Amino acid sequence: MSDAEYGRVNLDPRFAPPFPEAALHELRNPQLRKNVAHAIDVIQGKRGKLVAEKTDWQALREAASEIRTHVLENLGEYLEQFEERCTAAGGVVHWAADAAEARSLILDLLRQENAKEVIKIKTMTSAEIQLNPFLEANGIRAYETDLAEIILQLGEGEPSHIVVPALHVNRSQVREIFARRMGLKNLSDDPQELTNAARTYLRQKFLSIPTAISGANSLIAETGSVAVVESEGNGRMCLTLPRTLITLAGIEKVIPRFQDLEVILQLLARSATGERMNPYTSLWTGVAPGDGPQKFHVVLLDNGRSSILAKPKERQTLKCIRCAACMNACPVYRQTGGHAYGSIYPGPIGAILTPQLMNMEHAQSLPFASSLCGACYEVCPVKINIPEVLIELRAQVVNQERKQAKRIFDPLYIGLRIASFLFASAGRFHAAQWLGRNFARLFTRQDGWMHSLPSVGAKWTQTRDLRGLPSQNFHEWWAQRGKESK
Amino acid sequence: MSTSSRQRILDRVRAATVAVASTQAGEAYAALARGYIRQGSLTREACVQRMVERLRGYDASVVETTPDQLLAAIRAQLEASGKRLFVAPQGLPAEWLIPGFDWKIDHGLTTAEIEAAEGVVTAAFCGVSDSGTIALHHGPAEGRRALTLLPDWHLCILRASQVVETLPEYFDRCPQPPALATYISGPSATADIEMTRIKGVHGPRFLQVILLRDESR
Repeated sequence: MSDAEYGRVNLDPRFAPPFPEAALHELRNPQLRKNVAHAIDVIQGKRGKLVAEKTDWQALREAASEIRTHVLENLGEYLEQFEERCTAAGGVVHWAADAAEARSLILDLLRQENAKEVIKIKTMTSAEIQLNPFLEANGIRAYETDLAEIILQLGEGEPSHIVVPALHVNRSQVREIFARRMGLKNLSDDPQELTNAARTYLRQKFLSIPTAISGANSLIAETGSVAVVESEGNGRMCLTLPRTLITLAGIEKVIPRFQDLEVILQLLARSATGERMNPYTSLWTGVAPGDGPQKFHVVLLDNGRSSILAKPKERQTLKCIRCAACMNACPVYRQTGGHAYGSIYPGPIGAILTPQLMNMEHAQSLPFASSLCGACYEVCPVKINIPEVLIELRAQVVNQERKQAKRIFDPLYIGLRIASFLFASAGRFHAAQWLGRNFARLFTRQDGWMHSLPSVGAKWTQTRDLRGLPSQNFHEWWAQRGKESK
Repeated sequence: MSTSSRQRILDRVRAATVAVASTQAGEAYAALARGYIRQGSLTREACVQRMVERLRGYDASVVETTPDQLLAAIRAQLEASGKRLFVAPQGLPAEWLIPGFDWKIDHGLTTAEIEAAEGVVTAAFCGVSDSGTIALHHGPAEGRRALTLLPDWHLCILRASQVVETLPEYFDRCPQPPALATYISGPSATADIEMTRIKGVHGPRFLQVILLRDESR
């Protein structure tokens, strides 16, 4: 089934407006900005404290970075090893080249089980392939079980963060959604009561629905095991109680050995939620007789990842362990929240991952949604140099754009072509400086500032003043000084 | 269809990494930087104390006891819980099944039977004091995974000799990678609503730990 057949989905980069346009809309929502800022400040405060107490934090980052780089450089070997060991332990490994193949694979598996309903533990990868609306269109009801995902599913909202997807929703909004969708008229907005409501709502589903879908935090090549990190226990329910479990994972999720978890787990919870360790981590290997699902499938998803892998500078994007520290640290994300990115992967990692997953055909505005301050690189537990990749992608976007016919008369590109011409010779450059200075003088007031400029210059002076240019530039001053001293 | 996708993906991955792949991945792996702390530096006593602190920080309740007082400690915990119906893994030491309570031993209990229980008592494989984590490998005395998941109250008996300081020390204690493992750091929790930590979503809402002082101090 093609993507178009079940309609458009929000946060689909193919249809999302450019970032500046979408961001403006979000910036005009004071409630959303307040909710996002509050959540971010809480996580950042906790993270800062727990990272500071870890005296070997930088050594852990270095180790994680080297492990992830090594895996990516030898991905073929480790994938085959994972497949072999997982299969030997009773799992069935499937390969999906793109989102459409992954969706139809999963649908086939569910149909073999005669599943009408399926329980799900939060997985960004399933959102990436837009699995839920596809299953819905094919008559299978998917129940999200993570509290934040329930809030979004019942409220028909979209995730704005990869770890805390509903951080843009406050307690009274949650109360409204739960009261309306669960039929609980007397519900208060006390988080404890709201959480209890979710527990009751899902309990029977956990106990009765025999098919589950999960993502994976790590696939272990050495053993064929899968690790999932969570907080609530909804993950353990999905991984333990059903008869059949389907795990969807990107091919980059492999780590070489079980022991490598000692690095990843020390970094992940501290980076993601500011905890020393998340409440629950589950590890399983194929099928365990008498314990948990007796049918286990892993779907390994490429969906653009092998193209990213081929590019030396961009390859590091795939080191990501999805902790979201970069979005929590990002000054741009803090202002706009996640929806402005028009992708289920927002923030700095989304700004580099999304356009690449789209083969640079969509989401080209995202690499520009950054001030390049470097905060994301500083906090990244696997040391992805996000600014470096952002700059590389910006160059690619500009190269695409300047080949387009419609850009010939684009003021920006006219300006750049003129600049390119002027900067190519010292004489032209000096002449342009002289002209510019005299032109600027027309708009400089008595106080030495330019308060309003015409045309495109107004974009600057609408919101701030511009200092007038001095009568002499450095080059002229230096030349004159040389003469005077003789 | 899947077979051809498998080949296609692996071919693409191999082509993408042809310039950087190691000829001997094993050797390259062995050379990776491991500059982080493996061995903790606390005394045994301080290490065990930190475990207690961390567990309490997660809102788990902890009591310390000695081997000769263990059964009395288990009884006290069971009584204080106000619950009657407990499940236990089949390999749990028989003397831990304190008389006077209803015990259901897991010789293949159904999910509904486990769900009906009010509490569960298990042993543990290891404790990591740095993060207050309890590792279960689901051996005979730790029970299968559903056992420590469905009942609302989990009493875990952790020996002081099982407590290590750092996470890498736990990995050093694994003779081989476990096929199944669950790492528990406090009772089930969420912070999804306004980042307020709320105890007890789907897993046990009460984590009780008896720390058995089986080492000479």
